[in-house]
Order: sequence, then C-alpha cells, then structure tokens
Amino acid sequence: MTVLAATMTMFRNLRFALNSAWQSFWRNLAVSLAAVLSITLILILGGVNLLIGHAFSQVLDGFREKVSVISINVADDTPLPTVYGFQQQLASDPRVAGVKYITKEQALANFTADPNNAILAQQLQGNPLDAKLEVRVRALSDVAAIDALARQWSGVDPTNPTNYQGDFVNRMLQLSQWLGYAGAGLLAILVIVSVVIVMNTIRTAVFHRRKEIEVMKLVGATEWFVRGPFVIEGVMTGLIAASIALALLVIAYPPAVQQFRNDIAFIPLSYDPGFIASLARDLLLGGAALGAVGSYIGVRRFVKL
Amino acid sequence: MVLTPDFDSRPVISFQHVWKTYPTGTEALRDINLVVPEGDFVFLVGPSGAGKSTMVRLLIREEKPSKGKIFVEGVELGRMKRRKLPYYRRKIGLVFQDSKLLPNLTVYENVAFALRVLGEPDRLVQSRAAEALDTVGLAGKEQTYPSNLSGGEQQRVAIARALVHAPRMIIADEPTGNLDPATAWEIMQLFLRINSRGATVVMATHNREIVDLLRRRVIAIDAGQIARDDRSGRYHDDVSKPQIRAQ
Repeated sequence: MTVLAATMTMFRNLRFALNSAWQSFWRNLAVSLAAVLSITLILILGGVNLLIGHAFSQVLDGFREKVSVISINVADDTPLPTVYGFQQQLASDPRVAGVKYITKEQALANFTADPNNAILAQQLQGNPLDAKLEVRVRALSDVAAIDALARQWSGVDPTNPTNYQGDFVNRMLQLSQWLGYAGAGLLAILVIVSVVIVMNTIRTAVFHRRKEIEVMKLVGATEWFVRGPFVIEGVMTGLIAASIALALLVIAYPPAVQQFRNDIAFIPLSYDPGFIASLARDLLLGGAALGAVGSYIGVRRFVKL
Repeated sequence: MVLTPDFDSRPVISFQHVWKTYPTGTEALRDINLVVPEGDFVFLVGPSGAGKSTMVRLLIREEKPSKGKIFVEGVELGRMKRRKLPYYRRKIGLVFQDSKLLPNLTVYENVAFALRVLGEPDRLVQSRAAEALDTVGLAGKEQTYPSNLSGGEQQRVAIARALVHAPRMIIADEPTGNLDPATAWEIMQLFLRINSRGATVVMATHNREIVDLLRRRVIAIDAGQIARDDRSGRYHDDVSKPQIRAQ
C-alpha cells in the first residue's frame, strides 16, 4: 500500500469513526444523556474544587505578601555606614527580594500619616520610633532565617529587634500546605470516582451495542476501528458535559464570592475573571480526557478479539 | 468481475489432529483430520452438540484448538497473532443462522459495512454493495431496514454482506435453520452460485433435504469425531453404499 493510499484509508476510517460517534450519540440519546449528566456533575465538583483552591490561594497570597515583609528596627546609636553595610549584605542574599531603609523621620511621617494613629500622634513628644530596614523575603519559609540573621546584627534595637511573628507565619505555612494536600487529595478522589462512573456508564452504553461490535469483529474490523467511534463519542460526551459544567460555574461564581464576602467578611475573597480562562481549559481537557479514558476502558472487554 | 476471487494455493483448509476441550472438561472435538481443497463445497452434518459449530468457531478463529493444528491457506490459525486476525477474517465471508444484521442500519448500510471496515473508498463501496445486493436479488430494497424484511430476505442480506468483499471462502453456520423449505432452497442456490465462481464453501447444517438433494461432499460429525466423509454424500449414512474417503 502506498503512503497516499494508507493516508486516504486513514482519513476514511476517521470520517467513519466521527460519523458513527455522532450517529450513535443521537441514536442512544437516553444513555448519552446519562453519561453527559454524570460527567457534568463530576466536572462541577472538580470545578468547584478548583475555584475554592484558587480563591484560597489568592487569600493566602495576600497573607504571604504581608508576612513575607519583615521590619528590622535599628538602634538609635547605630552609625549609618553600619546600617548601609547590613542593608548591602541583606540585598545580596539570594533569599531576599528587596531591602528598603526607612529613617526615623520617615518612620514618624508614615506613622502620623496613618489616620488610625491620629490621636496617638498628637501625644508624641520627640521621635520615639526606630529607623527600620524593611526586608522583603522571597519565600515565606525563609523569613525565620532572615529574622535570626537580623537579631544577630550589632545594629539591631535589642529591646524590639523585629516585627517577626513566627507562630503566625508557621501556621500560615501549615495551612497553605494542608490546603494544598486537601485539594490534591480531593481532586485525586474525584478523578478515580469519575473514571469508574464514566466507565460504567459507557460500558452500559456499549453493552447495548455488543451485537454491532460482534459483527464489526466478524467482518474484519481491527480493534482500533471498533474502539475509535466509542472513544470519539466519549470525547464528545466529555466536551458537552464540560461546556455545561463551565456555563453553570461561570454563572454561579460571582454571586457565590459575593455571598461569601457578606457572610465571612474577614477573609478577603475576590472574584477573578482571569481565572475563567484557565478553568475553561481545565474543564474541557478534563472532560475530554475523562470521556476518552472511560470509553477506552469501558469498551475494552467487548472489543478484544 | 468483483465477486470472483482469485485463488493461488491448494488445499485451502487443513485440520491436523485437532482436539477441542472446553474448560468445563467437555470434549467438543477429538482428533479431527480433514483437508478441504480450493473451490470445494462441504456440508458439515451431525446431531446437535456433535461439534459442527465448534469447527466453525475454530475456522473463524473465535477459538483456538486445545491440541493439533488448523491451517487456512497455509497459515496456522492457532499461531496467528491477534493483530493479524482482522486481516484473516477479511478473507472469509460469514453467514449465521440468525443473520447478525444490524437493526439500525438499512440493507445497503449493512452490506456496505463490511467494506467500510476495510476503509474502501465511497465509490467502490457503492458499486460493490449494489452488485452484491443484485446478486442476492435484493436490488430495490437498499433503503429498507432489516425488521421490514422476511427471514429469507434477511439471510440474503447476510449473504450479500458475506460476499461483498469477494472472499476466498464462505463459512456458514446453519444459514437455512430459520427458513421454510422453499426459501431455504433459494438461499442454497445463492451458495451454489458463489461456489461455482470459485469460492470454497463450508456449511454446517441440519437441513437433510438440501444435503440429500445436492449430493456434495458431506462430513458427518458425531460426538466430536468424523464419523464419515463422503465425496458425494447424503445426510444419513447409506449402508449399502461404500464410504469413500475424500482424501
């Protein structure tokens, strides 16, 4: 067989598979809808999981942003070259994203500019505030090490060295880790459960068509020729289900965030329209993969020659 | 002519000391030896459970022998790789008692189906399917669904599907089992015509009248063994006539 003839045969087989998949989807509408429904429900659960994960990671990012900045209070009698020297040392540390020196005057100006401090600022005599080195640490897990480094520095204010809150940071780190594990675990369970459900739904659909498969095998169809239409039908089912799930999630996302903010105001959850594109990609890919894998496994027993 | 296969080897089928024992312990076939030359017309006869259908299943490689070898056109079926099996089945045409038509496809689509799986181009599919339907006398019924056909017509569609790809061999398992005598005879005429064009036909049957009338080669199976192999045989053994071994 020439390359051209083989390619033509392949295209004809692909066209046959697409036609068969399309016809079979509509001919067995009840079973197809059952498969769409189960995949939709699974994808909604998966999508909700992704949305919650994304929302919390946004919130956590906000917290991380705050706690990854550590203020090192400089003792009043520290010579400026010593401060600059330490600033330089910190700036060249790979764990540090940036260091900013805030003089006593700037610190006071910042303090009095904050309306929350208005009454306190009026009662101030002189400038009791320390000069500061504000250090932005790249990774939350390195904040403790930078804090330890600062405490060993000769120029630090020994009565109030830094504003580092070790417990809070550790808890944040733990929470973020646990949320990551929980999300991944939930997603893994969803994937396993969904493959089993989809596989069984499709196996039921295939069982109704076992005679067709038997005839296909008897007239000399290859395993892939028999399997192809089922896998394509699975992908089609998955994509339809993903579209429905996506539409429902897109509609429900903004009001759900609003409701959450009304109910639990202290967690700064926000609506992120940019996440919709990545959610759409994940759901469509997930739906197609789920349909394809479910069909592949579901049809295997009947297809085997 | 599309329906005329070209043959290049003899013999077509050879069973060599073939045994078939099912996992339950039932011995369906015991030490079967036979040779079917190219272009032969063979009836497999015998009581129910004798082993005829097992022989058919072995021939289409739905099952493998427990012992012994089966060669078809020089290829040993027991050693055939799974991926080669579809290509082997494309060389044979199969007809069953229940016709095995797909109810949701029209007559034309059922016949064309056998060519679609080969990836044949549309033009060829159309002309061959039309030719096959014409051969079995069903021209004009292309768009009818199997449920609207009589049993005989359904079996004609099955025969058209079996011969549409011009196979070298037709294997039929009780093809007249559900038909009245007149229709069964019409169906047999079709098989004879296919055979006269050179195709080898192996047919398991219970139809005594047809076997007796046609006087073709008859292999009688009893309790999993070949009881008799007559070149020009009858359904039941004729004690007055000396048995002639075919080979």
